[in-house]
Amino acid sequence: MAYDGVQSKVTKRKKAVSWTIVMILAVFWLLVAFVPFLFMVLTGFKQKLEVIMGTAFDFPETFFTENYISIITDPGFWNYFKNSVIVLVFALCILLMFCAFAAYPLSRFKFRLRNFIFLVIVASMSIPIHVTMIPVFQMAVKTGLYDTVWVLIPTAVAFALPMSVFIMTGFMEGIPKELEEAADIDGCGRYGRFFKVIFPLSTPGLSTLAIYNGVNIWNEFIFAFTLTQSEKNRTLPLALWNYQGQYSSNTAMIMACLTLSTVPMIIMFIILQDKLIKGMMAGAVKG
Amino acid sequence: MKRKLFTALTACVMAGALSCSAFAAETISFWHLGTDEPDKTMWNYAVEQYNTNDSEASGYTVEQVATVNDQYKSKLAVAMASGECPDMYIHWTGGPMVDYINSGYAADLTELVDKYGLRDLYTEASLAQASVDGKIYAIPVKNNSIAVFFYDKAMWADKGYEVPETVDDLEALCDQMVADGITPFALANQPQWTGSMYYMYLVARHGGPEVISAAYDGTGSLVNDSTIYAGTKIEEWVEKGYFPEGVNSLSPDNGDDRALLYQGAGMMLQGTWQVGSIKEENPDFYENLGVFTFPTIADSEADQSVIVGTLGDNFISINAEGEKLEEAFKVAAYYSSEGFRELTQSLGNIPPLQAATSEEAVNQDLITILGEASGVQLWWDQYLPSAVADVHKTATQKLFDCSETPEAVAQEQQDAMDEYLAENAG
Amino acid sequence: MNKNSLAYKKQKSVNLCAAVFLMPVILLMAIFLFYPIVQTFINSFMKWNGISADKTFNGLYNWSKLVRDTDFWRAFLNNVKIMVLSLIIQMPIGILLATFLDAGGKKFNIFKILWFLPLLMSSVAVGYLFRYALATNGGIISSISQLFGGGKVDLLGNQSTALYAVIMVVCWQFVPFYMVYYMAGYSSISSDVYEAAIIDGATRSQYVMRVALPLLVPTIKSAVIMSVTGSLKYFDLVYVMTGGGPGTSTELMATYMYKNSFVTFNMGYGSAIAGGMFILITLVAATIMRLMNRGGDD
Repeated sequence: MAYDGVQSKVTKRKKAVSWTIVMILAVFWLLVAFVPFLFMVLTGFKQKLEVIMGTAFDFPETFFTENYISIITDPGFWNYFKNSVIVLVFALCILLMFCAFAAYPLSRFKFRLRNFIFLVIVASMSIPIHVTMIPVFQMAVKTGLYDTVWVLIPTAVAFALPMSVFIMTGFMEGIPKELEEAADIDGCGRYGRFFKVIFPLSTPGLSTLAIYNGVNIWNEFIFAFTLTQSEKNRTLPLALWNYQGQYSSNTAMIMACLTLSTVPMIIMFIILQDKLIKGMMAGAVKG
Repeated sequence: MKRKLFTALTACVMAGALSCSAFAAETISFWHLGTDEPDKTMWNYAVEQYNTNDSEASGYTVEQVATVNDQYKSKLAVAMASGECPDMYIHWTGGPMVDYINSGYAADLTELVDKYGLRDLYTEASLAQASVDGKIYAIPVKNNSIAVFFYDKAMWADKGYEVPETVDDLEALCDQMVADGITPFALANQPQWTGSMYYMYLVARHGGPEVISAAYDGTGSLVNDSTIYAGTKIEEWVEKGYFPEGVNSLSPDNGDDRALLYQGAGMMLQGTWQVGSIKEENPDFYENLGVFTFPTIADSEADQSVIVGTLGDNFISINAEGEKLEEAFKVAAYYSSEGFRELTQSLGNIPPLQAATSEEAVNQDLITILGEASGVQLWWDQYLPSAVADVHKTATQKLFDCSETPEAVAQEQQDAMDEYLAENAG
Repeated sequence: MNKNSLAYKKQKSVNLCAAVFLMPVILLMAIFLFYPIVQTFINSFMKWNGISADKTFNGLYNWSKLVRDTDFWRAFLNNVKIMVLSLIIQMPIGILLATFLDAGGKKFNIFKILWFLPLLMSSVAVGYLFRYALATNGGIISSISQLFGGGKVDLLGNQSTALYAVIMVVCWQFVPFYMVYYMAGYSSISSDVYEAAIIDGATRSQYVMRVALPLLVPTIKSAVIMSVTGSLKYFDLVYVMTGGGPGTSTELMATYMYKNSFVTFNMGYGSAIAGGMFILITLVAATIMRLMNRGGDD
């Protein structure tokens, strides 16, 4: 950077000092965010009595690997895992598609019901999930979808929709009009513009939604327990039940189980966060 | 367009309304709490027996669904609200059982109990707990669970402590412990039902079980000498440092109370199901584990041999008719068989059966305590209607940080009782 | 407007296109959200314990009880506290973290990944760990207090502090969401804008303050709405960590509704609470949205 040369040493030192402060704060927050996670992992290496006698933030006396091993070698766990993956993949694909569909007219068209529909969507964000338990249970029973993995897909999609449409509409509003107009000149219609211009340019928004909803769907619990009952149809969050009794629970096993179930989400985040770096839009303009 | 859309949607919803039920006719659905060991083995017993021995002849098979405690309650509520109550389900008797009966989800089992000769197998008190107006609506299964004090015999012998006979003795002992730098009571009161045990026992010792039954049927009030006594005692004990620091944020789910006991606290008032946990996680401590019942009040007129707890803990009710009812009953009846008694005893339970015995010293002591008791006061949070039970728990928790006077706590409970009685009158 | 005019035809095709694109979402929401909320409002006029088939019309009884129910309004106030503190804590931290990551690019990936972890953790684990972090004996805050000569602090067991302690944990868990959200906001700012600013001689902080933040305003507005609706219907960690206690000090509208509907068998009243929640949250969100948009026009 050429202008650096004309700047005095004082500003350089100032810059170094402020970067140091920023880095210290960044590392501080890193500890705040990471330490609880670390001890969740470590608690999985403890033995039953050790968990009860100590606090959550003691290091394990010995690395007791039994907990993790017994979960990994349990075919039941992998069955839950498989079900969770099915729900996650289908629900995310449908969700992202539908919410992009809905956000397109809401963000770029002028039509009479636009404001009303947008308000309805914001209002839907205020619906507490528990009120839907009974009606959804009844529908699931009547349609014969009760106690199947499939019933968890539409419910997951439906409850993520209001907020996702809301977010997506905001993102699409931010896409410069000129890009669309350029496509219009190229002879794309309203439908073509969506698939050729808007949808590809929404990648940061879609990635954000995939990350957030992915985590929510992965940890979804309320419908998982109300709408399924046989062990073969349960998802990962219910795997904990094998270690929870009426009066006591095996915390070490629970933490081991929770740790293992976060691994796929970490991988998903590492892949998707790459789409969240700057320059997406610039590339699109130039290309 | 809006109207058209709405019609289309209504049609969609209607289309879903095919007549379809969650449970097939030839299966007997059975909901319980056995998600982890050893409960899984215990609940599985009757299901396995029935499916191997009787299934072929009757044409029915039992399908069991295990759900964890917290979620079990809401899952059952959702199913019942939708009119899809399972054929067999467990509950804790008391107020909610009355609701199930009134809603037609719990069949009268009296005839079947006599037909299959179960009356002589169960203890009289456990069947009484499962009865309303002399009719039996549920089969007791799991464990005679009562609240007792647990303590470390070796430590007490070492320090020269003696098992207190009266509440005065208990207070003297606690004062001694405080002087010795020991926290007398290992209590973890975050979920509120643990602290409630002290309250229930003090009320029962002072005024007997009549206090709560009179309040329930509207002839008495929860604002009375006994509840005020109990509240005052607890606050006095808090002031004197009998309870651990941060008592209202410690959680028994994490075993915080057991940890305090292991680390040298004086005693722990808890349910007898703790025996199994202690035996499994801390065998050394289990060697010296002692139990004693709640001390008495010397000059009280109330019956001092009443114990607080439940004689069975989990009870099965049946939501079926005719042939299916009888088949479901046969399933439940397996929980009174010799084979089951041996199995459940080996898992550390004291089944509500007359023949219950134990080879373990602690459980033998408990059987003695049970045998000497003249009656059982069911946990208030199971005995009371759920709405009042909830207020009971949140209100009594406020005694443990002295944030409300004993009078106000009693009044709060009575207000909830009044509201319940008013809403359910006639 | 002339029915055959070009403008009319164009609007008609716009309407059709909008309907086609909106159809799947409206359909799903109608089945899984509108239908249940309508049911809820119907049930709120019933006397129903939620067990039996026996529902009787109860007029406005539940609603008049709700309006006079101090427990409900206390719960609402608790929700408002969560809302305000969430806005104050999560928004700035979220923006700061995203700004840092935006400045660092790929070399800060390790920060990005580790900072994200709280959002991944299930409420069960968060509840377990923070019960110890906030404990009287050996808890972090309690230990710091003792270090400075203060007494032990029982944050979760004390009725006046329990709510704030839980709010801190909630914020801790949701900061990563806002971080990711603002990162996405940053990523849609064209890098031309950044280059232009630097060529004009702006420093990094000047760029952030004068160029990037104004461009992020729509993103921030959306985040505020999400935070508001989210915190007003919040349930998870409070249910796991305190269950509404000690006493009723951390009771929220959602936990109160849940208790009435599924624990104490008063589905009619529970439905009224849910209906009340729905109305209140929508009102608050709509008001805030209107205020922000008016502010934006000035």
